[in-house]
Amino acid sequence: MTRRLDSVSSEDLMTKTGEGDELAFEILVRRHQTSVLNFIYRYVGDKTMARDLAQEVFIRVWQAANRYERKAKFTTWIYSITANLCLNELKSIKGKKLVQLEAEEKERQNTNFEAQSDASQSPEDLLLAEERSLQVSEALQCLPENQRMALILKRYDNLSYGEIAKIMECSLSAVESLLVRAKKNIQEKLIFFKK
Amino acid sequence: MKCSQVQDKLSAFQDGELNPQEQERVSSHLESCPACRERYAEMEKIWQALGDFKEILPEPEFYGQLVKKINERQANRIPAGFQWLFQFFSSPWATSTLLIAGILIGSFLGNILAKSDLFPFQQNQAAHSQAAIEVFSLKAFDPIPPGTLADKYMRMASY
Repeated sequence: MTRRLDSVSSEDLMTKTGEGDELAFEILVRRHQTSVLNFIYRYVGDKTMARDLAQEVFIRVWQAANRYERKAKFTTWIYSITANLCLNELKSIKGKKLVQLEAEEKERQNTNFEAQSDASQSPEDLLLAEERSLQVSEALQCLPENQRMALILKRYDNLSYGEIAKIMECSLSAVESLLVRAKKNIQEKLIFFKK
Repeated sequence: MKCSQVQDKLSAFQDGELNPQEQERVSSHLESCPACRERYAEMEKIWQALGDFKEILPEPEFYGQLVKKINERQANRIPAGFQWLFQFFSSPWATSTLLIAGILIGSFLGNILAKSDLFPFQQNQAAHSQAAIEVFSLKAFDPIPPGTLADKYMRMASY
């Protein structure tokens, strides 16, 4: 049964979820959980918050399942939910964010080896990779929210300008402009990598 | 194509978002212009560097926790058909309006009842009027009749 549903499109799985098919929902969650989780993680820069928000995204997917209309790609739809949730969350916790990020940075420095790592890498290589990951994370967090979102959707999720425009509810030219500025800003932040 | 025109389009070129003709024109300019080529190489280097941001993996119990949360929320959910009621009472203006309406209705009903003959004191109005006359006629201050229980009590108290 699971194998049969594995080849089904996410849009069809969503329709089945709306009909109360829990197995379809499970496959949908397992298919998209990593991308949703990492989109949030890159956007908010906090693992714990990312895990909580990723669950919240799928709760909303479940709740909206019976109202789902196949107007857009499922990925565009779920990223729209995710983006809105992230923006609202950041607005509501702006004051607390700095403290959480500091705690997160400590956690990352201590336990970041849980992240995907190549077993063949030496401890020095791993440490260097961690350092670079942290620098990229910090550079991303310095970008304005809309530039950061556009850059993450393009760089890590490889979405087209059209899809990003739908998710961010703006025009194609606005997406292009956001990405030009985001790339310029991130280049200044990541000056280290140019050397 | 001028360098400034190319540099404006480098980001979209990198993202593969130019139309095929523009993509081709930028590509040929990059082949012939070392300055633009260097600029584009820097952009590519940063784009690659962004890939160093490590992915995190969902915890194995992600789905289990999710189902638990969904079930908890469904259990706490207000029954269908009553949601409007809870939404209504959750707004401050609705609560204030209800309070004011309650006071007005209470006053109105109280006024009607007072005018009607529903209260006990109104039913025994004659008896209550007699009692009132006795109280206000100062009979309470008359001397106590000798030999009564009150007379005996007063005598004991005066010792």
